[in-house]
Amino acid sequence: MDNLLTVSGVTAGYGPITVLRGLSLHLGAGECIGLFGPNGHGKTTLLQTISGLIRPTSGSIEFDGRELTRLRPPHIVEAGLVQSPQGNTLFGDMRVQETLELAAFSKHARDDRQSNLEKVFALFPRLEERRPQKARTLSGGERQMLSIGCALMCAPRLLMLDEPTLGLSPRLKEELAQAVGSIAKEGIPLIVVEQDVEFLMALADRLYLIEHGEVVREIDRANAPDHDEVMRLYFGEAAG
Amino acid sequence: MIETLLAALVSGLVLGSLYALMASGLSVVWTTLGVFNFAHGALMMVGAFVAWTVSEAAGLGLLTGIAAGTLVAALLGVLIERLLVRPFYGHRSMLLITVMTTLAAMIILEKGAQIIWGARLKQLPRLIDGEVSILGATISAHEAVLVGLAPLILFAIWRFTLKTRTGRSLRAVGQNQNSAALIGIDVPVAFAIAFGLSAALAGLTGALLGSIRFITPVMGAEPLVKAMIVVIFGGLGSLGATAGAAYLIGLIEALLIVWLGLYWTPFVLFLMMIIVLVFRPNGIFGGKE
Ligand SMILES: Nc1ncnc2c1ncn2[C@@H]1O[C@H](COP(=O)(O)OP(=O)(O)O)[C@@H](O)[C@H]1O
Ligand SMILES: [Mg+2]
Repeated sequence: MDNLLTVSGVTAGYGPITVLRGLSLHLGAGECIGLFGPNGHGKTTLLQTISGLIRPTSGSIEFDGRELTRLRPPHIVEAGLVQSPQGNTLFGDMRVQETLELAAFSKHARDDRQSNLEKVFALFPRLEERRPQKARTLSGGERQMLSIGCALMCAPRLLMLDEPTLGLSPRLKEELAQAVGSIAKEGIPLIVVEQDVEFLMALADRLYLIEHGEVVREIDRANAPDHDEVMRLYFGEAAG
Repeated sequence: MIETLLAALVSGLVLGSLYALMASGLSVVWTTLGVFNFAHGALMMVGAFVAWTVSEAAGLGLLTGIAAGTLVAALLGVLIERLLVRPFYGHRSMLLITVMTTLAAMIILEKGAQIIWGARLKQLPRLIDGEVSILGATISAHEAVLVGLAPLILFAIWRFTLKTRTGRSLRAVGQNQNSAALIGIDVPVAFAIAFGLSAALAGLTGALLGSIRFITPVMGAEPLVKAMIVVIFGGLGSLGATAGAAYLIGLIEALLIVWLGLYWTPFVLFLMMIIVLVFRPNGIFGGKE
């Protein structure tokens, strides 16, 4: 197996609440996968578990042939497994420039700080205009850009994006979707969580439908559902 | 009249420097961990005693003593964070629990100092002998060193939190722990650095104060109370506001001592503190939340 990431049988949750129930998925080298499914079924919990913010009660997570399951977040970032979390508020009192500079925190990210900063500004010219502004004063879309920008500053070898277009206007949504597309084209493997399945299908090699903390369906190009089927997956048989 | 006022001004400057050093240490811990460290005054006292032991008892010189006092206080600060603060991180009543655990640390340190160093009053020699005259008022050269050093140290802390990677990481952790962890910042390490830095400041202050006041196990209590009044006036969020409030309180205290005497001064200071708490809960310089 030359998977970049292998999640096997992971069970995790919050104290007595179990959210993930033996979830397994994998990501091949150079692959880009999408996660979708109804709200509150564990997608964010999964990414937080992979990043080490939540300790799984069982199962294992392997990244690039290395066991990550018991590592703490800074070591996981150091390994190159990075995420831009959902609904990020970042550091309200820090300026855009400062935040991006700080995000190149881990040792392996430091050397490429300047070139990564240029890449982030090329991807999001609006961030460059907002350089001296405090994160608190940014619009929702700009904050999302800053959050993705931070993740890129960490020099990711695998980047996880948790609902990068959540709560944005259609125009901004389009702008961010394009940015995510160009990150994928750069060759950075991605795990993207999104509600918009059509967007995910255009972007990703494979999709996982997650319900009740489990993968209930795996979709690739060969068994891609049509629009009606997507609606059925989301809203149950009644919609079909 | 003018002379008395100038003398009060200068002695207010000395007090203000002391309070600014103490309060900025409290502020560093507060902005990073959201914890109020009641052992801060006791760490200052440990700094003074260790400085005395190294400098006087062991005869290694005052500068070595001051360095040792600063270092030992810093290590104790890290230890307090590890043993008495970190276990309660993320707990619902963390703030309240750490009030109790750091108060416990204060008592342990004070009693421990009494056992180790005994009850006899101790004092350190001065860094520089002689006197300095500022605005016609005379203070000891050692006090002048304190007055000159305080703004330098405050400036250095300010630059540290604003410009260095480590300093920025402390601010990031204080504002959003999860986001900080997700860009690779080691949150527990940031906690330890904040506590260690804050305790080092306390130890240094104590070692410097040990040449001006007597070194006793409870010598940290009064500066801690004053630093608390300072942070209530200035808020804990910003170093600038905390420092400004420190000098203001020092000045007010010195003036009150001249006008009302030592006896009534604490009473009036506490009254002012209560008035501020009622009308400006975020401090005089603090923004509205
Ligand atoms: N901090 C938390 N404490 C307790 N339960 C939580 C917490 N965060 C999320 N949950 C619960 O975990 C479940 C999964 O949430 P989440 O992973 O955010 O789902 P998704 O990202 O798929 O919308 C939900 O039922 C949610 O209520
Ligand atoms: Mg989610």
